[in-house]
Amino acid sequence: MSPAIEELRQQLRDRFPAAHAPLRPVPSPEPAPEPLVFQSYPAGGLSEIVTPEGRSPLGLLVAGWLGEPDHALAFPDLVLVDGSDSLDPDSLGGNACSRLLWVRCSSAMDLIKAGELLIRDGNLPTILLDAAGLPLRSLRQIPASAWWRLKQAAEDHGCRVICLSPQPLIPCAAMRLSLNADFSLDDLYLSRREVLPRLHAKTERLRMAN
Amino acid sequence: MFAALHLPALPVAAALEVQPDCRRLPCAILAMEADIADSAKSKIPLLAINRIAAGTGIAPGWPLNRALVRCPDLHLLPRHPEQETRLLTRLCELAESLSPDLEITRADLVVIDLCRSGRHGESWRQAALDGLEIHRAAAETPDLAHLAVLHPGLDGHLLSRETLAALPLGSLHEIARGEGFLQPLADWGLRQLGDFMKLPRPDLVARLGPRAGHWHAILHGECRLLRLHRPPESLAQAFEPEDAIATLDALTFLLKRLLHALSARLHARHLAASRLSLILHLDRSGLWKRHIRLPEARSHAADLLRPLLTVLDGLTLENPVTRIELDAEPAAPGTSQREWLGRQLPQPDRWPETIRKLEALVGIGRVGIPVPSASHRADAATLRPVPLTFDETAPIPTAAPSAPPSTALPLRRFRPPPGVIVTTDPAQSPAAPLAILSGPHRGRITRCEGPFPSSGNWWQDGWQRLEWDIELESHHLLRLAFLPPADWQLEGIYA
Repeated sequence: MSPAIEELRQQLRDRFPAAHAPLRPVPSPEPAPEPLVFQSYPAGGLSEIVTPEGRSPLGLLVAGWLGEPDHALAFPDLVLVDGSDSLDPDSLGGNACSRLLWVRCSSAMDLIKAGELLIRDGNLPTILLDAAGLPLRSLRQIPASAWWRLKQAAEDHGCRVICLSPQPLIPCAAMRLSLNADFSLDDLYLSRREVLPRLHAKTERLRMAN
Repeated sequence: MFAALHLPALPVAAALEVQPDCRRLPCAILAMEADIADSAKSKIPLLAINRIAAGTGIAPGWPLNRALVRCPDLHLLPRHPEQETRLLTRLCELAESLSPDLEITRADLVVIDLCRSGRHGESWRQAALDGLEIHRAAAETPDLAHLAVLHPGLDGHLLSRETLAALPLGSLHEIARGEGFLQPLADWGLRQLGDFMKLPRPDLVARLGPRAGHWHAILHGECRLLRLHRPPESLAQAFEPEDAIATLDALTFLLKRLLHALSARLHARHLAASRLSLILHLDRSGLWKRHIRLPEARSHAADLLRPLLTVLDGLTLENPVTRIELDAEPAAPGTSQREWLGRQLPQPDRWPETIRKLEALVGIGRVGIPVPSASHRADAATLRPVPLTFDETAPIPTAAPSAPPSTALPLRRFRPPPGVIVTTDPAQSPAAPLAILSGPHRGRITRCEGPFPSSGNWWQDGWQRLEWDIELESHHLLRLAFLPPADWQLEGIYA
């Protein structure tokens, strides 16, 4: 190569350094999130898990989060704000239930208010808002500002808030997963450890924290 | 040197403060106030009388009927304990002006240690309260000052040894009330305290007991320490805005201002507040008062403001607020060291408040830790109250041994369970469901498992049911229950 061309290239590099910067490596595709691991959900933000109405394996998800501890806890470490009061403690077992603080709501607004109280309290790091059993009409009546308030509170207190909903509701969700699982009647009589791996989550939205 | 101040006939003086029109009348207060018949009332002794009544010849302790014979115009006054407390407070304030070291010996008498009074040591002679008769006396010991101030002839005098010896023996009754050794002394013919003081103490103790020796030593000048009265430190504050307050924002602003001052005072004393008292004076009339017990003693203004706002949030008053009074009960601040390796609550003071707010929002008994039932009855789980403090070593109340879940998929219950219309197969017994014709999940049942019969509590309001796990055409997995004789309901959905 002639020295004139080399010199010209050097001048261009000096004048437009950004255009000649080495290319960044192409990011590898995000690995599929592990829905049963809390660390998959961003702390200090809102995450949303969406499941098709009526066939949502959210109960199984909650059971998976609680696990099967071999002893009961004196103090809960997980909050379930149950919007439709649908939790069945008999399906979870006594030791698993001891990990759970159950707030039995009866409306969408109670769900939001109770969630905000617990987020602002800042004592429990993970809060589950179960809106899956609530009517869609009442869920749509929740103003977007309410979700933004929750997001702000979660950021302020470093709380991990996971909302279980029948369809996308949260405009400011840092992460949105869609959860699918297909079970038949035969699966009812398997062990829980056998059915848990059949929960499949797919990332629909992932927004990094500011 | 000790001085004593005494308010004679305090109950009557307090009652006359409330009813000043009766000051020129002979007045008395009965030892017991009750709604009893006049015949029984006439035997109640007099507790206290005023000077005019004493001038007629009656005395405290006389029964009412006897006093009325001597003084037919005797006017009976009701007792006013609150006013009596106020008069005692005034007496204490007067005593504090002489010396900070004082003892409330009786409800109408204080003893003051004059050792620290210096050149003001004689000022007790001029001690007076406006509109009230007050007796003063001084002596070398607290008990002798007490004795002297109760003797009318020693008002304003310093009790000397000669004066003490000349006092009648009965004057010891006033301070040694109920002591059993006094009557034998009178029976022995002793008339003056000097006679008693001349007795040899060892022999006195041998004959009349140690209490007689104790009072003998007191009369000979044995001193004791005062039970010092320290008025509780007040953190009360008040604020009267120029314009009446009608909004919560304005009230919050003023409360913050008061709380900052309160917080500074608490910090300066290394104290914290364990209780807040808020009094709002309303325009025209009315008073709103609330005492808030804090779960943990706090001193920061923000921590103190939060429970106040919780109380005020949603409060509706009839009239605007014209005056705010805020008081705090001081307490030692909580001392808990943060653990590095153990689990604990980051904000333990907020936790009880949050639980109470949640219960106020969703209802009492709807917040807690679920406890599965030991029964097979449907939806019989209970809620354990949430611990308000974090203690990992606390015992865990368990209703039943933890049983493994019966199905892999948890049930999401419908509460209350909706009734449905179901078509059944009459060929089977019991009749198996074929389709759900009403309710939120209608459709043909493609598969079902069951029935799973259960019953219980047969000895009292027994229950009985048959349950099926069903799969609909829509692939929904449901639990369907039949309640004899003819009711079907959906228990929940497996999800």
